[in-house]
Amino acid sequence: MKKVLIVEDDAFLQGLEAGKLKKDNYEVVVASTGEEGMEKIHEPGIDLVLLDLILPKFDGFEILRKIKETENLKHIPVIVFSNLSEEKDIKRAESLGAADFMVKSNFTLDELVDHINKILK
Amino acid sequence: MDDLEKLKVENEELKKVNAVRSDLISISAHQLRTSLSALKWILRMFADKDLGKITQEQEGFIEKALESNERMIVLVNDLLTLNHSDDASIPFNFKQVNIIGLLEETLFEFYGETHKKNIELIFIKPTTDIPLVRCDSEMIRVVMQNLIENSIKYSDQNDKVFVSLKYKAETNTIDISIHDTGIGIKQEDQDKIFNKFFRTRNAIEKDNIGSGLGLYTTKNIILRHKGKIWFESAPDSGTTFYVTLPIN
Repeated sequence: MKKVLIVEDDAFLQGLEAGKLKKDNYEVVVASTGEEGMEKIHEPGIDLVLLDLILPKFDGFEILRKIKETENLKHIPVIVFSNLSEEKDIKRAESLGAADFMVKSNFTLDELVDHINKILK
Repeated sequence: MDDLEKLKVENEELKKVNAVRSDLISISAHQLRTSLSALKWILRMFADKDLGKITQEQEGFIEKALESNERMIVLVNDLLTLNHSDDASIPFNFKQVNIIGLLEETLFEFYGETHKKNIELIFIKPTTDIPLVRCDSEMIRVVMQNLIENSIKYSDQNDKVFVSLKYKAETNTIDISIHDTGIGIKQEDQDKIFNKFFRTRNAIEKDNIGSGLGLYTTKNIILRHKGKIWFESAPDSGTTFYVTLPIN
């Protein structure tokens, strides 16, 4: 079973995302703040990170940078899942090594799972 | 304080007001999208019967709610694009761009859409080499997306949409046209088509998801490139939009 870390501060959205992924046979770990995200990326066996950008404490960009700078983590694909969509944010996430940038409101949870499946194929 | 100084101060003030307005739109859009995402996902769960059986009447209402939700999402997306194109304090990122490549990428994005309606999207490429065009590629992409999306949206099943691109040496411009055989624009609506929030009755009947901001934004972007945009249209026989962009 593949393991996904969801970093999302909105409890309701986090619950929906986690529920959907569990239903589709993923093991889910959740973090609600940037700080918690920074800790949980070190949990063993994480296959993919679903990362919000606006977070309390450290923002998503910092978490992404940390993952991509850390030798034993940098292979983990990160999907930025945010409601920001400005070009500068997308470019910044890409240059830091995000595998994908998805605007939450433009996708259904089924489409989100499709993207995750494709990346983890 | 002389007049020039006064104007400079006023200009600075206006820039500040504009920046506040732009931030406000950006922040509200982000908040709106969070709620809209939650609604979209929950409604989808109901519609897909993930939360148990629903009656046919309930299903109808949920489909309506999903449609309203989608309309709001489109509005927020369009407002954000408009905010970017409208705000002179956000400079455009002018670079030398391969316009054919950009058009091909944009056309590719519509593959799913055209496939669904069995519409043939035909790109008539220039036969000669084309110089690079100095433009903001993301903004020109928005222009092409808006025009192609409209041409598909307002066409019928099995119709064809033609996109063509030419280089005109005399004027040193790129001329792009997007031609459809869709519903067309009535004479009385033609002078309002680029107005903010304007949608024709025919357009709403054909597809009720749309903000009425697409063509306004499109024109804004073209004007900021010192280009031109116009159209020819007749009801029931289709519309052709023309865009001219200076090379430099």
